[in-house]
Amino acid sequence: MTVIQVVFFLVAAFTTAAAFLVVLAKNIVHCAIALVFTFFGVAALYVLLDAEFLAAVQVLLYVGGITILLLFAIMLTSRISARGVRVMNEQVGMSAVVVFAIFALLAIASLKGFALVGSPPPASYATASLGRLLLTTYVLPFEAVSILLLAAMVGAIILARREREKD
Amino acid sequence: MLLSYLPILILVLLAAGFALATLFLSSALGPRRPSKDKLSTYECGIDPVGSARERFSVKFYLVAMLFIIFDIEIVFLYPWAVILNSLGLFGLVEMFFFLGILLIGLLYVWKKGGLEWTT
Amino acid sequence: MTQAFNMADLSTALPEVVLSLVAMVILMLDFIVPKGRRDWLGYLSVLGVLLTLMVLCRQWGATQSAFSGQYLIDPFALFFKILFLASGGLIILMSIGYLRGEGADSGEFYALILFATLGMMLMASAVDLLILYIGLETMSICIYVLAGFLKRERRSNEAALKYLLMGGFSSAIILYGIVMLYGLTGATGLKEIASTLTADTLSNPALILAMVMLAAGFGFKIAAVPFHMYIPDVYEGAPTPITALLAAASEIAGLVILLRVFLVAIPGLQDRWALLFYVLSLLTMTVGNVVAIAQSNIKRMLAYSSIAHIGYLLIGVVAGRELGISATLLYTVVYALMTLGAFAMVILLCVGEVKGERIDDFAGLAQRSPMAAAAMLILLLSLAGVPPTAGFVGKLYLFGAAIERGYILLALIAVVNSAISLFYYMKVAVAMYMRDLPPAGLALSPSRPLRVVLFVTVVGTLAIGIYPGPFLDLAKSSIAGLW
Repeated sequence: MTVIQVVFFLVAAFTTAAAFLVVLAKNIVHCAIALVFTFFGVAALYVLLDAEFLAAVQVLLYVGGITILLLFAIMLTSRISARGVRVMNEQVGMSAVVVFAIFALLAIASLKGFALVGSPPPASYATASLGRLLLTTYVLPFEAVSILLLAAMVGAIILARREREKD
Repeated sequence: MLLSYLPILILVLLAAGFALATLFLSSALGPRRPSKDKLSTYECGIDPVGSARERFSVKFYLVAMLFIIFDIEIVFLYPWAVILNSLGLFGLVEMFFFLGILLIGLLYVWKKGGLEWTT
Repeated sequence: MTQAFNMADLSTALPEVVLSLVAMVILMLDFIVPKGRRDWLGYLSVLGVLLTLMVLCRQWGATQSAFSGQYLIDPFALFFKILFLASGGLIILMSIGYLRGEGADSGEFYALILFATLGMMLMASAVDLLILYIGLETMSICIYVLAGFLKRERRSNEAALKYLLMGGFSSAIILYGIVMLYGLTGATGLKEIASTLTADTLSNPALILAMVMLAAGFGFKIAAVPFHMYIPDVYEGAPTPITALLAAASEIAGLVILLRVFLVAIPGLQDRWALLFYVLSLLTMTVGNVVAIAQSNIKRMLAYSSIAHIGYLLIGVVAGRELGISATLLYTVVYALMTLGAFAMVILLCVGEVKGERIDDFAGLAQRSPMAAAAMLILLLSLAGVPPTAGFVGKLYLFGAAIERGYILLALIAVVNSAISLFYYMKVAVAMYMRDLPPAGLALSPSRPLRVVLFVTVVGTLAIGIYPGPFLDLAKSSIAGLW
């Protein structure tokens, strides 16, 4: 086993453990904090896969943005952050079975399937080549994303204006 | 190449180690004489007012949502900035379209009072 | 590989550019036009849609690939783009009076409908998984917000939340399928994926899994059973024009990308996915029709009826080849017309306190407004598939394609289902013609745009029913060179 592999398994174990904590923690704020660690672990995995830009995006958007949004959502919901809120319901056993069945299916199919195909051709994940692709080959998706973001902005305002009319 | 991430790893380990060590040491070594005042929430010496678990205003949420949208915009700006030199005018025009559309979004948010705290 | 962008690429996407400009102008005009006079933003939006249609028609008969082969202008894309724009225009027309009635008139509503239509147009032309997904998300995000537009209504909030959760969930499943497909082939272009898959990679378990995930994800988007649980609540709670948008446009857009991905990217797996859709089609039409019988709210009934129609549409996908796919294309038009008409009727009945949503609200409609009752009767007959309406013609070709390709049992069950559906559609007709007008019934005063919508949908339903030739020819010529 190379050093990289050792590091990979450590990071993967850390990420998985944090993900379990997200699902199993009793206090919903603890779940959100554990999610930060999961996102960090995923960013580290991206780094190990040479996808540095993706790792930066992961930290910027998920660690810095999504978790903040999540924490705000918890705090602006009355009393949900207080202790004693049930995070589980009676279907936890059933969903655990389903989750592990799907996981087993995905794992077996991926392990078998991707072994047949072999490793993918090496690609350049450098930020500069990503930027070039984005602005030449993928210019249509690039501009379409700006429309999508505009629609999202309009949506955010419509959702939040609700509160203002009540005040 | 991964070697350049070694300092980051060391920093993360040091930071986590320092935080954990401080927590452990202060609970292991510090004397403990609890009283009612000591156990109350620390608010710079003033008696705490109300519960800490108050409900936040939805305005925070709006700000966070807008923050993420503009965060995504930055994700697209960064690789563009790296290669702007070689793309020339063409790259500049493309990004102007991208930013122009988002500027309309900003204008909309502004006009609708999304950036105002009090209404 | 990297190819600079040129003006020819831009001209292929000109209709999309025009539509997005119109939407942004509407968004900005919302500040200038005072509340209460925003009707004309709706009319302006319809003008914008017509302008886009005019620009679009210059692409008639053309086949051209643009943006490094990710975007394809072909008769198939054009067919659906025209359908989406027409549906979008009709939905805006029926929104004008509806929003005034709810006291929620605003430019954003129209702008978001236009952005959603833009997303559907991107989906229709996408031959690359990336742009396909972005189109899908653009459409979905707009509809999440539109479903919750009536802020003071709890049902509307519930609809938005349910649709957001299920929509996000299904998008994630589609994305997972896309990722596996990309991981196996190293390509995102649909044609490239097909050319990478050789005979021995076709039995790859990961590929099968990717196929199942895509089918499940698209199944959510088109509301096929068993991925339909959220549909009745969302249809009931969303503003009625948005329910129409969901049923008549968004689900068809899901069907379009389903056809593209399965026919172009993984045609080698046809035996397997045809079986998958066979089961889905069977379940979808049977569950939809049987559950619809018990409904007393017309929006819920139409929700289950639309589920059933998705089941019929899938018959064409199962049958495949020119015959099956062209029958599916024809039926999308038929389905869009009668669904839009039926929801326009619900809006028509929305007078004062009466929401027009209970089947009881249709009681005595024939005395109240003979014209409206006749229009609804035609739409109901078409939904049930009775001649001489479009619904009959559409089903004839669909079931005919199934029989031709040897799916006798499927066709038989579809016929039985049509008979069942006649029962609940006629429940509404009986209410209109056989029951007395409740004393509280007010006179109907349909707004002019709503009359236009009803006129177009009813006349369209009759036209396709009586004279289906040109429509069928159009559907047939639209799938030329699709795979």
